[in-house]
Amino acid sequence: MIELHELSVRAGSTALISDVTLNVEAGTWCTIVGPNGAGKTTLVETIAGLRRPSHGSVSIGGEKVSSMRERERALRVALVTQHPIVPSGMSVRDYVALGRTAYHGLLRAPSVGDRQAVTDVLARLSLDEYANRDVVTLSGGERQRMVLARALAQATMVMVLDEPITGLDLRHQITMLELLQKEVHECGLTVIATLHDLTLAGQFADRLVLLDHGRLVLDGPSGEVVRSQALADCYGMNLRVIDVDGADVVIPVRH
Amino acid sequence: MVLVAVATLVALAAAVVCGLVVGPTSIGTARIIGDVFSYVGLGHGTLTSTQSSIIWQIRAPRMVLGLLAGAMLAVAGGTYQGVFRNPLADPYLLGVAAGAGLGATIAIVDVGSGLTTPSWTPLLAFGGAIIAVIVTWAIGGRGLRSNTSTLILAGVAVAALFTSTQTFLQQQASTNSITRVYIWLLGSLASASWSSVTLVLPYVIACIVVCVAAGRALDVMSVGEDESRSLGLPVRRVRFIVIAASSLGTAAIVSAVGLIGFVGIIVPHIVRLLVGTSYRRILPISVVFGAAFLVFADTIARTVMAPSELPLGVVTAIVGAPVFVLILSLRRQMVT
Repeated sequence: MIELHELSVRAGSTALISDVTLNVEAGTWCTIVGPNGAGKTTLVETIAGLRRPSHGSVSIGGEKVSSMRERERALRVALVTQHPIVPSGMSVRDYVALGRTAYHGLLRAPSVGDRQAVTDVLARLSLDEYANRDVVTLSGGERQRMVLARALAQATMVMVLDEPITGLDLRHQITMLELLQKEVHECGLTVIATLHDLTLAGQFADRLVLLDHGRLVLDGPSGEVVRSQALADCYGMNLRVIDVDGADVVIPVRH
Repeated sequence: MVLVAVATLVALAAAVVCGLVVGPTSIGTARIIGDVFSYVGLGHGTLTSTQSSIIWQIRAPRMVLGLLAGAMLAVAGGTYQGVFRNPLADPYLLGVAAGAGLGATIAIVDVGSGLTTPSWTPLLAFGGAIIAVIVTWAIGGRGLRSNTSTLILAGVAVAALFTSTQTFLQQQASTNSITRVYIWLLGSLASASWSSVTLVLPYVIACIVVCVAAGRALDVMSVGEDESRSLGLPVRRVRFIVIAASSLGTAAIVSAVGLIGFVGIIVPHIVRLLVGTSYRRILPISVVFGAAFLVFADTIARTVMAPSELPLGVVTAIVGAPVFVLILSLRRQMVT
């Protein structure tokens, strides 16, 4: 269980997140939506422990994230950033193996167990044929899958993703989100992600959280949030939701 | 990788032999080896006392100091390049050179400090280097949101301040002093002795061990600060430790041999071209390669125009640049 209690984050005198209280059940997928500048990235960075709250707290399994050491935190929460840095010259296997750093530490070599975990995750994400390739030779879709593999190699209960499908074509967007959904359903992973695409956000998350100007506006089951007037108001758009074979499709309507 | 490691070790052995054998006074390799064995009770040395002094009191300490200087500068350069994720980083990035230069100038030029004796030069150079790095860190390395860019900029500012002060002092000095400052700035192993070796040895060994041990951390850092923190790396602590070790070791070396340029930037790049981008391989190989490289460069510096010497910094650049270009073009050919 992840608990955000009266969370506020400031950068100097600017409030980025104000008084957000939110509980996310273990083994569920919660997606944060909202217009640009709503505070989505700040919120996920704070959950991942990269930013310190100015007020309130983030707890994972009852422990405050801000009081954990980096290594303890890396064993509990993995992060996929919006624009991951891919270091040229590194093999895909070595890149994914970075996810095991918190297990073997900085002075010891990866154990047999660490190496096996990397091999398993490469196979699970169908990356084994690329294992020895230089990371910069991968396509955008393969690269994003590799970043997900690194996060899965961390074997955490919680994964935080900031716009994980940015720059991917439609097929790779769906592939990426389905991989993630499989981890939620089969392995009990808890996912907190930010997404701009409201249709995909609604179709893949158990629950949507709407943020605007750093404040939590709405929090509920995906179907309810995509149909809410609050969502349309936040974007300043007319939104229509169409049911296509049981799936909600959100369409902006121009005046 | 194994091939490169073996080749660098062979180069190191060759450099050690070169450092002992090559010189204006011709002494055969076999006789030097015989002398080494005589020290452990195997046979009798055939060197005269003058020859023995040339080998063990002049060439040997010079060669050992060259090994230490090359190893330290190369590993510090590689470490800086990793921690700053910047291929142009060298061991002098945070003001070590400028600080040492000012310290040495104060010692060499009579500025009324009463410290104008040769024995003060290494001490003031060391002090200047350490002060410069501490000032740089105090300006750019602290605070929660500090990052490597602010640290580099602070280094540029501190180096500018120290260098301009040094230039001012130089301008006030006599021609003789200016020449001595200039010679110091270009670096030389000419004043090497066993006492200078023992003075820098503990710092250099400890700092090299820390830098090499940081290889895995630097590999993690290659994905950027935020991501490496999310992978469990205490980024600020690691950054502080490796910068402190690189700077301390560099300061110790600079205080003993002056400013030898090019080794710290070029050796890690040559090694990177040979063994790939992992700092777990770059750093230990750089230690060996840097040590061998500097001793070879010094052998050239002291023999090409004997009895006078070429500035070591000039030789490292003249030898290092073509070697780098050669390896770069060979690697391009291999890739295409």
